[in-house]
Amino acid sequence: MNIVVCVKQVPETAEADLKLAPDGKGIVKEGLPLQINESDNYALEQALLLTEEHGGDVTVVTLGPGSSDEVLRMSMAKGAREAVRLGGAEFERGDAVAVARALAAGLKGLSYDLVLTGCVSSDEGHTQVGVALAECLGIPHATYVVQMEMGDGEVTVGRELEGGLIEKLLLKLPCVLGIQTGINEPRYASIMGIAKASKREIALKGASDVGLDAGAVGEAGSRTRIVALSYPPAGEKAEILEGTPPEVSAKLAGVLKEKGFV
Amino acid sequence: MATSLRERFELLGCIQCGRCTAGCPVSLRTYLNVRKVVYEGVTGSGPRDATGRPEAWNCTTCSNCTDRCPKGVKPMELLIGLRSAAIERGKAQPTVRDALESTLKHGNPWGRIRDKRMDWAEGLDVPVAGEGEKARLLFYVGCTSAYDPLAQAGSRALAAVLAAAGVKYATLGTAESCCGSEIRRMGEDGLFELLSEGNREMFRDRGVETIVTNSPHCMNTFRNEYGEHGITVLHYSQLLAGLLDDGSLKLGTSVDMKVTYHDPCFLGKHNHIYDEPRRVLRAIPGITFVEMDRSRERALCCEGGGGRMWVEPPKERGERLADLRVKDAVALGAARIVTACPFCLKTLDDAVKTSGNEGKIAPIDLAELVAMAL
Repeated sequence: MNIVVCVKQVPETAEADLKLAPDGKGIVKEGLPLQINESDNYALEQALLLTEEHGGDVTVVTLGPGSSDEVLRMSMAKGAREAVRLGGAEFERGDAVAVARALAAGLKGLSYDLVLTGCVSSDEGHTQVGVALAECLGIPHATYVVQMEMGDGEVTVGRELEGGLIEKLLLKLPCVLGIQTGINEPRYASIMGIAKASKREIALKGASDVGLDAGAVGEAGSRTRIVALSYPPAGEKAEILEGTPPEVSAKLAGVLKEKGFV
Repeated sequence: MATSLRERFELLGCIQCGRCTAGCPVSLRTYLNVRKVVYEGVTGSGPRDATGRPEAWNCTTCSNCTDRCPKGVKPMELLIGLRSAAIERGKAQPTVRDALESTLKHGNPWGRIRDKRMDWAEGLDVPVAGEGEKARLLFYVGCTSAYDPLAQAGSRALAAVLAAAGVKYATLGTAESCCGSEIRRMGEDGLFELLSEGNREMFRDRGVETIVTNSPHCMNTFRNEYGEHGITVLHYSQLLAGLLDDGSLKLGTSVDMKVTYHDPCFLGKHNHIYDEPRRVLRAIPGITFVEMDRSRERALCCEGGGGRMWVEPPKERGERLADLRVKDAVALGAARIVTACPFCLKTLDDAVKTSGNEGKIAPIDLAELVAMAL
């Protein structure tokens, strides 16, 4: 069983004080460490586990600048066989559909039974690329996948819904699955492993290499665009509870009860 | 791996006397049997990596086994080697994985961003040597002392003491990265190499002649694992002992307190620094210093080393060693258990709570005690 995993390099922002870029349409990324998008890391692990169990190879595909090669090398260090990067100025500032269109074109010629993506990117958070990719490829999809069971030419998946509900779906292969965090426990890529993987080839493809006009990808190929980013307005609802730990706990429990959270 | 464990770790000298296991502090409470691990390394009958021998993760790398071996075998290095083989295959428990990934991304294993590395010094006048600027005496803060609220107090105290003694020094500011000590002990040799190369380069650029560290772990790794670099590496207790000797540090305030001292393994057993911290303690006016029975070479490990701050240790039994340590200190009637290591400080602080001794005793960093006496 061959699996393609779509991965993305994103800035880590968990503890960072984010600043708006001068054009107001993005954030200042300088100084932020770059890493694999969190749910993509789970998608990669899921692919590796599945091929370890059922045989076959994992190919990782990304769309992004040269720095994204780090994510591909890390993926190869963990066990991916091949890596493809869609790179070039024409791909910049694409919306979710433009990215999906490019990925779908990039997948042509690859043999796959499954395409896994993360269910959401931690930077822009559209949650649309996987779905749009499935539409472009003309194959079924499921999102927020937290369970998988392979059958003969099909897969049963559990989708995470609100309130702890799991929706079970049966999909014919090939299909696109958006993997939710927590479905597995991602392995570690050692520095030695990454160093070895850095000697392996990454296939770099521009729009014309995958049969697309430059106008079909990136900003030119997008139907949506970011007009402006802004900070959420500061509210005045914050309340600092003070006292000893037992006192603060009691006050907190009171607030939660009063607001109807418990 | 072509070479056997026997060849790589020179295990053939082992005479199976068992002093390693007898001296191993965690053999009391885990299923780690060091002698058996060495035996199976000699015969080639045991697992070649820690995945098949999870008790290798119980080791705190306190060095008792290695110090006490009459044949010069280094069982501790064998245990680290078993971890390395697992890590190279990507087999890391989630907490270890996260610590390693954080160190690659942020330069520290605590998952904190680089921008906040100097938060501990807020409001203090702590000098920072930027790129190309000189730091002949470098105060290397260390990850735990930079980010952990409990250990930050020690860093702040040390900065105050250095200022009071008129010491000219500099830090690396937010450019400081992990020393790699715990990274190597968690088995990530490649990342250790990366960190040590980066740090050596940084030391060269800043013209560093002497490094003084908060943590005995950083000191040990700079001193013994960074190869030849010509830099003098001191633990801060050594620097303070020298400043007291030459009269630059004067302690005028009486600290009326009964204290005992817990020897950090990486200061004591690894580097035989037993006297300087005690000399500093005794120089504090008003202090009553009592020794625990298990002190100096016989000191009981607190279980904070060997990457154990990030390891979820497999199967344990009996009392945690830090709990025993706190109970020993309470039995002496000490109000404070003084130590000189951020990991010891954290494990002892936890142990005060878990052993039900809150309010009776508290751990304190030696530097904090000295700052109280200024």
